Amino acid sequence: MYSPRDMIDIIAANVRKTRNPFGMPKFLCNRWWQDASMPAEGDALLFTGLMYQFVPYIEKSTRYLEQFEDTPWADYVRYAKYVPNYLAGMGLALLTPAKEKKRFNAILQNITKILAKSKVDFFYRSELDEYSGILLYDLGDQESFVRHAEFVAAKLKRAGVKTLITVDPHTTYALKVLYPKYTGQSFEVKTYFELVNFTSNNGYKRVTLHDPCFYGRYLELSDVPTKVLANLGIECVPVRNSGLFTSCCGGPAESISPKLSKEVLHRRTEELQSAGAPIIAMCPICLGHLEKSGAQVEDLSSLIARCAA
Amino acid sequence: MALVNPNFAEEMERFGADAALECFNCGTCAAICPLIYEHFPRKMIRYLQLGAKDRIMENASELWRCLHCGLCTQTCPREADPGEIILGLKRFAVANWRRS
Repeated sequence: MYSPRDMIDIIAANVRKTRNPFGMPKFLCNRWWQDASMPAEGDALLFTGLMYQFVPYIEKSTRYLEQFEDTPWADYVRYAKYVPNYLAGMGLALLTPAKEKKRFNAILQNITKILAKSKVDFFYRSELDEYSGILLYDLGDQESFVRHAEFVAAKLKRAGVKTLITVDPHTTYALKVLYPKYTGQSFEVKTYFELVNFTSNNGYKRVTLHDPCFYGRYLELSDVPTKVLANLGIECVPVRNSGLFTSCCGGPAESISPKLSKEVLHRRTEELQSAGAPIIAMCPICLGHLEKSGAQVEDLSSLIARCAA
Repeated sequence: MALVNPNFAEEMERFGADAALECFNCGTCAAICPLIYEHFPRKMIRYLQLGAKDRIMENASELWRCLHCGLCTQTCPREADPGEIILGLKRFAVANWRRS
């Protein structure tokens, strides 16, 4: 296990200086929109919160953390805070394979296709798309979280944004529940799958849906993707723990203890695999983490986009 | 020996843990927690109720094992919100580190 104090100091300093937990300039990690054609004005802002874009970097950095956990080298993590943020962030960006970045960018491009097919009046402006700060909240650095959330909320309000379309459970929870509570700023927040409005028959026949903790328990949204898939002719196979009682994949512990995170992952993967159908994730953290088990996992948006084609 | 402070639970309210005294230590949270690790989070909640700040700070790193998955809160028979208590204790520990 790494020292939480050191990890929090590093992450908080990165968010303070670069507005993301890795310390890299936003133009390096948020490039998916360059290959997508989207209006810059509309009814609702597509707000990715940069979570899908971060997954390749999370995978790369946790691979290093895994190597050094519980070794004498682990203590040297604290010195990372003395490395200039941009330098560390640029280094991580260069070490992360382009193929992986492209794969996760494609998920966001699929989401725009789903919204277009559902005739949703949405727009995207990369300068308004920011990290929500949710990791700071989960780590207990309330002061840094509130400071960052106030910056993001003020930026959206200044741009006149009223409605947001989100793509992951962590950002959805932050904007829907935490921002009104801690910044006093409220937005109408919808996930992209709540807006799916078409039927089809092009996908799998049966899938195993892994409910993330934040959709299943905190936001109680599990029934929505199940209904969306039913409209697309896809049956969700029952999983031992789902909905309000879904099991965590272990992903949130990756930055503090990759070992612990893997233990939890193996238990959840066994539950999902025993259902005997292809596994579908709807959270970038769950997707990246479940893939580590070697199981075949696909994002919900990829499945819906295939049906939309 | 731990120093007991009966006012600590009240102090913790400003860190967002306002239902800790509802807990009667039944252990449902520890049984459902995916960590299955030495009575987590029950032991930490007990320390909070007793006001054993030193014990909390000595074992503070353990708080970050919590995945914030919310299963303990979902199943708590007393609605003591164990997940939020652990998050409140993390905030308390961070505030202490920053002060020191």
